[in-house]
Amino acid sequence: MNPEALAYPFLFIALFFESFVLVTFLSKPARSARARQAASIEDPSLPTVAIVVPCWNEETTVAGTVESLLALKYPKEKLEIILVDDGSTDGTPAAMARFADNAQVQIVRKENGGKHTAMNAGTALTSAEIVGYLDADSFVEPSALLEVMSGFTSEQVAAVTAAMSVHKPDNLLRHMQNAEYIFGITLRHTLASVNGLYVTPGPFSFFRREIIVALGGFREAHKGEDLEMALRLQRAGYWLENAPRAKVYTKGPPTLRKLLKQRVRWTTGFMRNVGGEYRDLVGNRRYGALGMLVLPLNLTTYVSGTLMFLLALFLLGRRAFAAIEIRSGIPASYAWLPHASALSRTFDWFYLPSSLYILLGVATIIGSLTMIAIGKRVSETPGSLVQGLLAYLIAYGFIAPLWVMRSLADIALGKKRAWR
Amino acid sequence: MPLFVRNALIALAITGAIVGTVVYAVDYLNRERVADLQAIEDQLSIDTLSLDTQFSLLANAPCESTASSTDLTGELTDLGNRLAYTENQLGSENAQVVRLKQQYSLLEIRDYLATEELAKECDEKPVTVLYFYSNTPGECPDCDKAGYALSYLRDTYPALRVYSFDYHLSLGALSTLIGIEKIQPSFPAIVINGKASYGFTTLADLEKRFPKSALATSTSKGS
Repeated sequence: MNPEALAYPFLFIALFFESFVLVTFLSKPARSARARQAASIEDPSLPTVAIVVPCWNEETTVAGTVESLLALKYPKEKLEIILVDDGSTDGTPAAMARFADNAQVQIVRKENGGKHTAMNAGTALTSAEIVGYLDADSFVEPSALLEVMSGFTSEQVAAVTAAMSVHKPDNLLRHMQNAEYIFGITLRHTLASVNGLYVTPGPFSFFRREIIVALGGFREAHKGEDLEMALRLQRAGYWLENAPRAKVYTKGPPTLRKLLKQRVRWTTGFMRNVGGEYRDLVGNRRYGALGMLVLPLNLTTYVSGTLMFLLALFLLGRRAFAAIEIRSGIPASYAWLPHASALSRTFDWFYLPSSLYILLGVATIIGSLTMIAIGKRVSETPGSLVQGLLAYLIAYGFIAPLWVMRSLADIALGKKRAWR
Repeated sequence: MPLFVRNALIALAITGAIVGTVVYAVDYLNRERVADLQAIEDQLSIDTLSLDTQFSLLANAPCESTASSTDLTGELTDLGNRLAYTENQLGSENAQVVRLKQQYSLLEIRDYLATEELAKECDEKPVTVLYFYSNTPGECPDCDKAGYALSYLRDTYPALRVYSFDYHLSLGALSTLIGIEKIQPSFPAIVINGKASYGFTTLADLEKRFPKSALATSTSKGS
């Protein structure tokens, strides 16, 4: 059997998922969500809001995070900011102290206990109706909170997520992450319209405080507290919404090592939670799109992504090996540099690569790029995406399988890694 | 029906349509390739017949013919490249590929004979290479390397006339050629100016099998 044929089912699944997202994007609920206007700052019914910033050794970024929160358009008397220092060992306390005199800001220091404990500690300090969380390496647009508030459309909506992108990407990895995050904007926006969200990300997700307190607050959850809370809310029958224009920027790991560490944490968090405590949601009709489509497809993606990567490596390696072998002993100027007969073939339609594998792969890539373009447009994220798209095209297919494979290995070996 | 189920069904239909379109596009491109090859072969048949006719008309002075088989050889090379690519796409068992290979092999043999005839009549010394390969799995592990090395030599030394044949192709004329040249089923089989040798190790080794004057960088008289 042609080894390329192994990829057909996975390419079909990828195309199906992209089609599903694009059809859902055009459906009425998603259109209505896009048409929703941000809440008005003049609206007297705006709820009280507390934003908790859990910090652990964030001396370089926390001040910028807090300043962006203080610049939020929201009635000051209804907005409090709670900075929780989770036992930092660097200059984070001093960086926080700058804001001690601000009436909107509360600062609390506790022994290190993990991000979820910092989030719970902050939550315990407020009686606001809505509580949100923002990682201390993230920044928000001034209009973001009013956008988020427009997402609490009914009492059944327990949480609203924002639209994340990378803050001033400055290298290939961060450009790649930026495109990926913007891809995520489309995904989150459309899946929210069918209540298919399975994570309420650390950067700028908001909850009805009474609900998360009633559910017992955040848990360690294999270092996936944001994912676990979303699944718990889903299981309890609540809706998770998304505000696609609530722009929040995160820094994104600058190096491959740090990126892999972060993504292995996310991926193992997903696999351990969904494959463990929340296994009953997978394939369960009661949980609609989440149970029947989103979670099963996500699990499939991890397996199929790895297999596709290994298959591509095998095919590429086999082709490279054959190319090297048949060229051995032939002068390099002919074998490896362009010459007339090879060039004439390059620009001839006859030699256009046109296998099913390649064309289905191209269709899948076009689908991904379309979703990134939609995400940028819907969220009105500023800046050029050209570098992001290029970086995504060049690097993502090689890097993402690395963290998936390492995650699978960690789970198989029962290995747990530190946060950083 | 829940919205996500309806959307999933629509997505399934769209995915089916995309896959169907891609399958159709692949098939369409392959059909176009075959049609392209057919057109080239038809043109070459006419050119070959024209050349034959010119030889017949100038039976007493064939060397004065303005016609030359060199152009045909160049077109044959291009046709061979296209045919090899198409064979790679459609598989060597494909009936259309087999038929095109039969036509191509006939054209090659005809061009080879014309070259030999000109050489005899006009005191020219072209270097002809008959290259026999096998597509049977495991029968010729070095054929790809030998084919590439011969392509290099042909592109580097325009005087070389390289004719490649699938040894197992079912074609009467090819069987006759194999019989006349006494080619054994050992691959790759390379016949240089009528002298057969077997196997391929390196380019340097292959070059040693050529007459000393054959691999000159300038175009030989016979071209």
